Amino acid sequence: MTEFSRRRMLGLIGAGLAAPTILRAQDTSVLRVGGMLPLSGPGSIEGHQVLKGLEMAVAEANAAGGVFGRQLELVMEDDEANSTKGVTAVRKLIERDEVPFIIGTYPTQVVIAATQVAKEYGVPMLSGGSTGAAGTEANEVGDPWFFRAWPDSNGQGEDTAKAIVHQFGARRVAILHDSTNYGNTLADQVTSLVQAEGGEILSRDSFNVGEPDFSPVLIRLRSERPDAVYIGGWAGDGANIVRQAAEVGLRTQFVGSGSMVSDDFIELAGPASEGFAVATLYESSTPNTFGHDFGQRFKALNGYEAGTLNALGFDSTNVAIEAMRRAGAPDSRAVQAMLKDGMADFPITMGPDGTTADFDDTGGVRFPMFIAVIKDGKRTI
Amino acid sequence: MDLFLQYLANGIVIGSAYVLVAIGLTLIFGILGVVNFAHGEFYMLGAYAGVLTVTLLGLPLIAALVVVIAFSAVLGVLAESLLHRALRERDMTSSIIASFGLAVALQNAALLTIGPRPMLLQTDLSMLAVEFGPVFLPLPRFLIPVAMVVLVGLLFGVLRYTWTGRSLRAMAQHRTVARLCGVRVERVAMVTFMVGAGLAGVSGFLMSSVLMVTPIIGNMIVLKAFTVVILGGMGDIMGAAVAGLLLGVVETMTSAYLTNGLRDIIGFVIVIAVLLFRPQGLFGKSVERS
Amino acid sequence: MKAGLSLIIAAVFIAAPFLTGGYELQVLMVALLYVTLTTGLNLVSGYAGQFSFAQGAFYGIGGYTTAIMGRDLGTGFWINLPAGIVVTGLFGLLLGIPALRLKGHFLAIVTIAFQTIVYLGLIQWSGFTGGQNGILVPPIGEVSLFGATLVDITGLTAHYWLTLVFAVVAVWIAWRLVHSRLGREWVAVKDDETLAGAVGLDTTRAKLTAFVASAAFAGAAGVLNAHVMRGVTPDDFTIWISCTIVAMMVVGGRGTFLGPIIGAILLTILPELTGSFAQYKLFLFGVLLVVIIIALPEGLVGRWRKIREARA
Repeated sequence: MTEFSRRRMLGLIGAGLAAPTILRAQDTSVLRVGGMLPLSGPGSIEGHQVLKGLEMAVAEANAAGGVFGRQLELVMEDDEANSTKGVTAVRKLIERDEVPFIIGTYPTQVVIAATQVAKEYGVPMLSGGSTGAAGTEANEVGDPWFFRAWPDSNGQGEDTAKAIVHQFGARRVAILHDSTNYGNTLADQVTSLVQAEGGEILSRDSFNVGEPDFSPVLIRLRSERPDAVYIGGWAGDGANIVRQAAEVGLRTQFVGSGSMVSDDFIELAGPASEGFAVATLYESSTPNTFGHDFGQRFKALNGYEAGTLNALGFDSTNVAIEAMRRAGAPDSRAVQAMLKDGMADFPITMGPDGTTADFDDTGGVRFPMFIAVIKDGKRTI
Repeated sequence: MDLFLQYLANGIVIGSAYVLVAIGLTLIFGILGVVNFAHGEFYMLGAYAGVLTVTLLGLPLIAALVVVIAFSAVLGVLAESLLHRALRERDMTSSIIASFGLAVALQNAALLTIGPRPMLLQTDLSMLAVEFGPVFLPLPRFLIPVAMVVLVGLLFGVLRYTWTGRSLRAMAQHRTVARLCGVRVERVAMVTFMVGAGLAGVSGFLMSSVLMVTPIIGNMIVLKAFTVVILGGMGDIMGAAVAGLLLGVVETMTSAYLTNGLRDIIGFVIVIAVLLFRPQGLFGKSVERS
Repeated sequence: MKAGLSLIIAAVFIAAPFLTGGYELQVLMVALLYVTLTTGLNLVSGYAGQFSFAQGAFYGIGGYTTAIMGRDLGTGFWINLPAGIVVTGLFGLLLGIPALRLKGHFLAIVTIAFQTIVYLGLIQWSGFTGGQNGILVPPIGEVSLFGATLVDITGLTAHYWLTLVFAVVAVWIAWRLVHSRLGREWVAVKDDETLAGAVGLDTTRAKLTAFVASAAFAGAAGVLNAHVMRGVTPDDFTIWISCTIVAMMVVGGRGTFLGPIIGAILLTILPELTGSFAQYKLFLFGVLLVVIIIALPEGLVGRWRKIREARA
């Protein structure tokens, strides 16, 4: 009830802010919103997938008549996964394009640098796929300027570790992770939680993103005979590992991190992906009705199943657009206030049915993840 | 011991891919004096040419191989005109920077046109495997060292017994004298680039059924290939072949017996050590180089 | 004319904080950092004729020195700055040693190997370097002398002024070095090393000092950058950054004094002008690089000088 009344109050404030807009109701110029992703360079593979989600959310808002009667224009900046470029891009988006919010970015280290600058301008940022806990940890508690509408990598590690020990009954676990913060944090989480649940970590190896050949490590793991192998990293590397594991005859329960849920993964890993389990934020076969509908629309638009990264980009953008609409004006500070407190009823595509963008005071959203297992080339939850 | 042999086999597979890329690099350097940073992009584009021919056009593997070779040759001609013909009489930095620019352009062109989604060549061959005692290799992996041996052998034959090959070797030894003796420098340069790009492209195509193809796969392989070229001695084909296999094996062993995190660093550490103590490469004769 | 151009550049950089917003200032600030980096590289590559593709690594070593010292020792910018310069200088010396024996492309490859080792090391040695996520660095903060606060360097404008001072000092030091006896020894080594040795020049000393000086410039820029960007991550110091710095020097005109400065400014600002073509930015950068190398081998300033000499 309190939640509702607070929202109503914010709605009233929003209406107050909107008054000038109503006065100049003939303002039909395009309304620019900001996006910043690595579109070239190392993170571009993921950046372009997240971008699909951003574009779809903006296109849908425009098809529904835009916001405040104005069409939205997504202004994209390329941060090249480089903090310097990221900071420059944020300044440009805010000063030149006067965007009320920025969706971005994917690498957590760039998020941290960029958010500090965006906060100085009073412009909120919403994760463009970044899941590293460090992104929201850099927020001031109670006054976040970086929002991530899904759990951080710590939450993911927790859910995964529990599944490994309880759902799969694994005691002896080996860990492979990439050397990014994402992979490292996940590996740390899984290590400590598996041990806390009574399991044993046999070995832990890191690899560089995009590393082509895993066979030596996998052969060594074969001789360690783990009950389960946890992989923390991106889909391409994960698929590579699973395929090569089958080639070297390493047969065990593979459990992967959230990024390995795309159909790309199954396609790339081939039959070797059978039995692979993954903690997932989003599934096109999700029981989440909002997410299911999104999946259908995405497929109709792009011709392939929506993956997690597409969903992440879509949710951030969709939530931000709605927050702006509710704030009543393209005013960045009002958007931040609305994100902070006023979106608890707004659905997102991820998590169980009925999950909403209920941001906590550090700018994150907590919900349990699915553990999906691949069966007959399809993920089942 | 069984495990060791399996590691060895895997190291040889990866090493063979390095060899194919490095030989082109060392040829282009040894004959034309061009340091080609865009060589990794030949590998990447060769892989895409193959994968797309098979998946989009539905052509058989052999046809795809022909497409890859033809496409790489065209690419080689293009690169030669930019990095060699347009930059004659310039110092090494020019070709290094120009090839760096070309690499950036090609890589981003691939990203913009083909997109970032990783691709993999899926063939029926993946189901088959070759076993030697304790060593087990899926057929696509096994084909890489085989192709490497065949192609290197072929190259040796060409260099030794054909007029083109002799021209190439003459050019490598002394450019001006070769020209005076009637070697058509322009043609030799073009052939060198075509052969180099072709080898890298074929290597990319072969690896595309083993490793994922993305627009950025050229970055690391070109650095590895440079390592191989130095270890083997600049311009030395046989040296590159041995050094490539060695690097593949050393990397595999590092990741198997030490830690996987060190794997990409080890080659560069070795290369610095070798350059400090044996600048002529591991196998080269001590000659003055500049 | 040359003085005129220098004056115009100086005027733009001094007027900028009064005329432009944060975005333009940010871009100019990055340009100034690259001016320091490129001027440093020009000492070893342009004047002493030694290849180096490791300027980005030195840049990173400087940044990580201040980040790690700040984190583990609690020291601030003004202590970390000389420390960063010394540490990078030592690494420069280390890289200079192979340069005593190697030339041309061999040296280029050693520097590439060094650059790659530093980059991968920063990622892999995560306990010390913070891994891929890097380390957060505070702004420089208040500068006080005997308890009195002189200036507070936290905001963008203050950092901009400091970066400008850095660049000016760096350019001035470079000017003095180039026009000193040492600078002439560098050029002698570049022109003909054997001859330089034969007439009694200490070529070892000349080469090593060039490497150390070049690295020290990058180290200083790295320390400053870490505070300006409030953090360091390995992806800010890749081989591509090194190549970009080399490209700036070559496009401007290596071995000319003003060329690398102009190259740094141009290649920082040009990509920002691609506007809605953001996706094509790197593609265009690559194409531009090839075209400039082919069409203007001696760089912009080198070409201009040539034209003027032809007229004279």
